[in-house]
Amino acid sequence: MMNFFRILKPFWQTLNSKRRVVALFTLMLVGIFPVASSYAQESVPTPVDIESSFDLERVKRATVFIMQARATTNAPIITCISSGTLVSRDGLILTNAHSTVPGENCPGDTLIIALNLRDNEPPVPLYRAEVVQANPGLDLALLRITRQNDGRLVDTASLSLPFVELADSDAVRLDSTVTLIGYPGLGNDPISVVRGTINGFIAEPSGGTKSWFKTSTPVPGAFSGGGAYNQDGQLIGIPTTAPIAANSPEANCLILQDTNGDGQSNSADACVAVGGLINSLRPTNFVRPLLRAASLGIQVSIPTMTAAAGQMQTSASGTPRFRRMFFAPAVNEAGMPTTTIRSLPAGSTGLYLFFDYENMTPETVYELRVTIDGVLNPIYGLSPVRWSGGRSGSWYVGTTEQPLPNGVYDFTLFINGVASESQRLLVGQSVSAPTFTDIIFGLEDLQGNVLGNGFVLPVGTTASARFIFRNMENDTPWAAIWYREGNEIIGSRTPDGTVWQDGEQGIKTIRIQSPTGLLPGNYRLDLYIDGRLAATSNFTLAGAQQGSFARIFDNTHFATADTPDEAVNAPPVTSFPTATEAIYALFDWEQIGTGTLWTMQWYIDEDLFYEQTIPWFAPQSGEDFVVQVMGRDTLPDGTYRMELRLNNLLFASQSARIGIGLLPIDRFAVTEGIQMRGTILDAVTNQGIPGATVFIITEDFSAADFTRDWQQDQIFDLSVTDSSGFFQIDRLLQPGIQYSIVIVAQGYLPITADAVEFVPDDNPVDIPIYLTRG
Amino acid sequence: MAVIEVGREEARELSLRQRWSHYLVIGYVLVMFLIALNMRDSTLYATVPYQDVRAGVRVLYPQNWLLDTSGDYIFRVRDMTSPDFKTTILIQIQPISPVTTARNLLDNLSLSRSQSLSGYRQFPRQEVTLGEDIAATSMAYTFTFSEVDPFLQSVPIPVQGLDIVVIQREQAVIITFQASAERYDELFPYFETFLADLEF
Repeated sequence: MMNFFRILKPFWQTLNSKRRVVALFTLMLVGIFPVASSYAQESVPTPVDIESSFDLERVKRATVFIMQARATTNAPIITCISSGTLVSRDGLILTNAHSTVPGENCPGDTLIIALNLRDNEPPVPLYRAEVVQANPGLDLALLRITRQNDGRLVDTASLSLPFVELADSDAVRLDSTVTLIGYPGLGNDPISVVRGTINGFIAEPSGGTKSWFKTSTPVPGAFSGGGAYNQDGQLIGIPTTAPIAANSPEANCLILQDTNGDGQSNSADACVAVGGLINSLRPTNFVRPLLRAASLGIQVSIPTMTAAAGQMQTSASGTPRFRRMFFAPAVNEAGMPTTTIRSLPAGSTGLYLFFDYENMTPETVYELRVTIDGVLNPIYGLSPVRWSGGRSGSWYVGTTEQPLPNGVYDFTLFINGVASESQRLLVGQSVSAPTFTDIIFGLEDLQGNVLGNGFVLPVGTTASARFIFRNMENDTPWAAIWYREGNEIIGSRTPDGTVWQDGEQGIKTIRIQSPTGLLPGNYRLDLYIDGRLAATSNFTLAGAQQGSFARIFDNTHFATADTPDEAVNAPPVTSFPTATEAIYALFDWEQIGTGTLWTMQWYIDEDLFYEQTIPWFAPQSGEDFVVQVMGRDTLPDGTYRMELRLNNLLFASQSARIGIGLLPIDRFAVTEGIQMRGTILDAVTNQGIPGATVFIITEDFSAADFTRDWQQDQIFDLSVTDSSGFFQIDRLLQPGIQYSIVIVAQGYLPITADAVEFVPDDNPVDIPIYLTRG
Repeated sequence: MAVIEVGREEARELSLRQRWSHYLVIGYVLVMFLIALNMRDSTLYATVPYQDVRAGVRVLYPQNWLLDTSGDYIFRVRDMTSPDFKTTILIQIQPISPVTTARNLLDNLSLSRSQSLSGYRQFPRQEVTLGEDIAATSMAYTFTFSEVDPFLQSVPIPVQGLDIVVIQREQAVIITFQASAERYDELFPYFETFLADLEF
């Protein structure tokens, strides 16, 4: 009530006493007192107690239910389901890739979007959507609403849907409160809100120490793709689990329809796979590049990449498998284990499980189960999720920031629901064993110093490795074995019976040499002490030698042309005009082995919008590798930068400017503010007035200015009442700004008000307004 | 039975002055009525000028209608007081090739509208003349308007529309009028007035 009077205060102060009497009478007439009483009555029923800054209702409205369906001659057949979250007012939806991108397990061709129109009711199918950006490995997808459910095209510019804002997920700390929102069932249940805490982080090579958040409260599998929010109502993560393929005995698959048309709904029909309980969240910082690319409508492609090369990254012919599991207490900047361990002292907070993998695809579902002294512990494990590491290589799953209780840890990896490999570790036992740690690679100078960037060496005849040793005893058997592309390099192994002669602790350098030259590619060094793997690390040999460093990419430049072929001969350009449809980035390359993983990143105004790590598929050396960047219609103004990396190390960077070199500001991308809504009523009959228009005028104009000119560009937002007189201003009002309000309806006296200010304590503002016939 | 007449007054004829006074009063009332009608029409059909020099269009549009020039059209006005569908007048200009006909343009309009409008149905096209000598083609159509905001519960509204296409100087001017089908005839004079004042 007090807040309401605070809104009116500036207006009240401008009136003399006589006018105040008239104004008071008018206020009574238009029903301000019923407004005030509605403030007193306002209460939002929620299953959990949420802080006032958390606009739960808006977040619930922004949470959608997604059905992937396959069109048939009769009714569409539901193939997969998931939850999702609107992340833009014009209909961009964030969800999982596994349930939306067509694939073997989700073969549908249509995405149906159901909205939470009314609380405590199941969602209502309203729209159809298309996938605009997806990363199957990270299991993230962005959909765009394109059609009404009846197939009519949607004018996305006219959409004004509630949406949520992404938080900086790196700021999430252990024990932070988290609110999970999603749909628990197959579309028959209303939206559900569950509260818990963040009780762990899982590290992976794809995303560093916070690749996954673990939550204390598991939620149903249908929550997958929904949202997890911090106390400010910002999205911090996406509950994610990938259901195991429907044909697997481990699968949780529900039969919804008579899909074979035999008149019965039974086990002969196709089912909808739903994952088990979820306690893993994919942090939202993984979403930002996808969201930026989707909202700006930018696509990056490599025109020379053949279909076969593209398929090489996403398919595998053999059976997926894991092998060579070992533990490390930490990883270095290149994602390599610092050393290997079989036990950890009490109070340790970091542990990494390393393993090699083969024949994996983005559709492969993997899971890590951890038991401590035989009891399943969900904090250190990972619920079934999609594979994000490519076809083959080395991987790790790590846990950081949380103390590990003492005990016997058993780690078991699962592939598609089937146990694959296990490894045991002891925590709470400090053993002073001989160790090799911190392997780095480089080229040796005349003084025997190893120079270079550590993990990418130029192609030549030699490569050196330097490592630290501790607690060694002379005459201890040890060995070093070098590998290229997973195969032992013949003659690289230290001779059998080699014993240690370098003392108790220090730094040692070893090398591999080939008079004919080492071939470019992926290498690995394994160091053993007394037959036990003591340290291991990978490095890449690529590029020509430039001092101690590798020159891999050269002559990086931009060009404009109608086709990729024309771009090769086009002159270099650093500045493009506004409304350029496509730009091309070109570069030369030297000595890159087939299959070497390289990363291409694209930034606009310093914000990453594209990142892809793929195996090298072009010849070993060449000129004019072409990358195409296209806009949905045209590319937005901005400063574009391309970066080329190997093993997380930057080897080339080039920028170009389009138009003024800055992205246009999106005035509507605001999720913080006050939602205004209400009902326009007839002052006599108390009935809602349909078709009345509520204008919110920007702070630069008064109601008199607006009603003199009636210009659209003076409007902050407007709403037209529905059949019950209800209206809702979709654009959020900002506290501290004075708006003018104009309400018009045919047959009624208009209402205008200036200098109306809203306070965040009352959010949403829900007011009945009474109009008098005139 | 006897009839007794009491105080019967003789009828008196009106004087010339009285007669003219009556005529003047009646005339005055008629004049005031006409003035009131005129004032009502002036208020109802009051117009505001708008000019787009770049597009070469000058119009007089109904006063108190919401003016919008920010979309992919050069001019749009809407009567925001309409109780159902907001009556709309819209002008679009499209560059065309020398071989493009009004029929091609109307076909394109129909195709795009049938993709986005519910229950879209077009009526036969007619050749019309704008002003004294501007040849144009008109196409009437209907569709059902539904509120865009899914959280509002509005009953779909049948809408009637009329496109008038004029081709000149390698560009097509498309003038569109849309109003609730229920009140289309009542509101059409606004469009007629608009067309009468349109210059391009």
